Amino acid sequence: MKIQFKCMVILSLFLSGVMALGQDEGEKLFKQVCVACHTINDGKLVGPDLAGVHLRRSEEWLLKFIRSSQSVVQTGDPVAVALFEEFNKIPMPDNAFTEDQIRKIIAYIASNSPGGPGAAGTGGVSPATGKFSNQSLQGDASNGEKLFTGNVRLSNGGPSCISCHNVKNDKVITGGILAKDLTDVYTRLTAAGVQAIIGNPPFPAMSQAYPGKSLQAQEISDITAFLKLTDDIKKNQEGTNYGLTLLLSGLCGAVVLLLIFKGIHSRSKRGSINQHIYDRQLKSI
Amino acid sequence: MMAVLDNFLFVGLPYASLLIFLVGTIYRYKATKFNYSSLSSQFLEGGNLYWGSVPFHWGILFLFFGHLIAFVIPHSVLAFNSEPLRLLILEIVAFIFGLITLFGLIMLLARRISNPRLKPVTNWMDITIEGLLITEVILGILVAYTARWGSSWFAAVLTPYLYSIFLLQPDIAAVSAMPLLVKLHIIGAYLIFLLIPFSRLVHLLVVPLHYIWRPYQRVLWNWSRRKVRNPATDWTITKPENN
Repeated sequence: MKIQFKCMVILSLFLSGVMALGQDEGEKLFKQVCVACHTINDGKLVGPDLAGVHLRRSEEWLLKFIRSSQSVVQTGDPVAVALFEEFNKIPMPDNAFTEDQIRKIIAYIASNSPGGPGAAGTGGVSPATGKFSNQSLQGDASNGEKLFTGNVRLSNGGPSCISCHNVKNDKVITGGILAKDLTDVYTRLTAAGVQAIIGNPPFPAMSQAYPGKSLQAQEISDITAFLKLTDDIKKNQEGTNYGLTLLLSGLCGAVVLLLIFKGIHSRSKRGSINQHIYDRQLKSI
Repeated sequence: MMAVLDNFLFVGLPYASLLIFLVGTIYRYKATKFNYSSLSSQFLEGGNLYWGSVPFHWGILFLFFGHLIAFVIPHSVLAFNSEPLRLLILEIVAFIFGLITLFGLIMLLARRISNPRLKPVTNWMDITIEGLLITEVILGILVAYTARWGSSWFAAVLTPYLYSIFLLQPDIAAVSAMPLLVKLHIIGAYLIFLLIPFSRLVHLLVVPLHYIWRPYQRVLWNWSRRKVRNPATDWTITKPENN
């Protein structure tokens, strides 16, 4: 009887340890990826508040939606379409989580939802409780502009925003068009959403660009202030497009280079060796 | 399904290319050292070759080293691009070199197809490589135009992916999220890399750089052509060896 009891204690300790590890991984993944756009019991952000989501949706639906939200939207699933419409048609990026990882994230959400064991202690999980908390900082739009274009380097050495993003603001050159245009991002995502995404990018390419190079809280505030200003003044901006400039400059430059090559070539031998012999042989056939 | 395809194209293909490149180039050097060259056809046709070869080689050298620099020292490239004017200059210059590379390749392909003297020395691999290079350069130009500013985002997003390949810890999250044109450009690069040992591209591994520093070689013909070709002249004077 004593042995059985000991075995049960050891087994339960082992199982609770495994569950705690799972919980830890769920928490880690949630804070790494999901927290950029979602809170648990702390209101809407870029995406919905996830408190109690495990009760509202089936696990099968959550597994599919978290893996690839757009695939579910495209199947015409009414809940997915309604969510997509409600949240300004901002697609949730696909996630390469395993089923097990998704289950751990759901378990973490469940434990922090109202009524869950972790809820009372945390008082909600949101970006503000994550690694940055800059909502109270005052942003400087002019410094934000310099950070956006790269005139002032980001303190941790990350690439400037203009590498991939464009804004319609006549004070800055046309930005990159690899990623989304950010002219009206402030309206679409609000300050909290913009700050959440800059502070903890959920998009794979963006998070790859900033590993270990997270922005400082003040930098996030400054860039957000610049994006707010850009959004406010967008109607008065003409916007520039360097596409045509790039094309025309490229063509002109190529012609100039070819002319230089022609100049170098002017004194070199044109014909091939013994072409006259080859021609003579062709004639004789 | 897409995840499997991405794994094949961005993890399997680069390792396969690297392995085949290493084994293939070493084997070919050991086995057939004398055709380890560009197999020049300049003796057969020299005029159009200039307009193909020179723009192509200057262009591809600039583009190759541009990509290599962004791979080796990405932080310096990002620092260089932090001034918008420098970014613009770099992008425009790279675009110019992209265009002259394409011009050179089209001239080379046209010459190889149209010149009857070149037909006997052309094999299907020459045409395959030529087609692949043209496709790759067109894709590169389209990427530069439709997904600017590539010099910055390559250093920020793709360099970590390439590092992950070389560190044997492949991470394809970022590359899987890239636009289709960028993905095709990367796949094209792996295919070209894979075909190097089987084509005339091996010459890039044996560039005769010492030619730049070696002294001029003087070639002298110490005989009079007229005298040698005169049937009345005895062969005892000079036997022509250099002709």
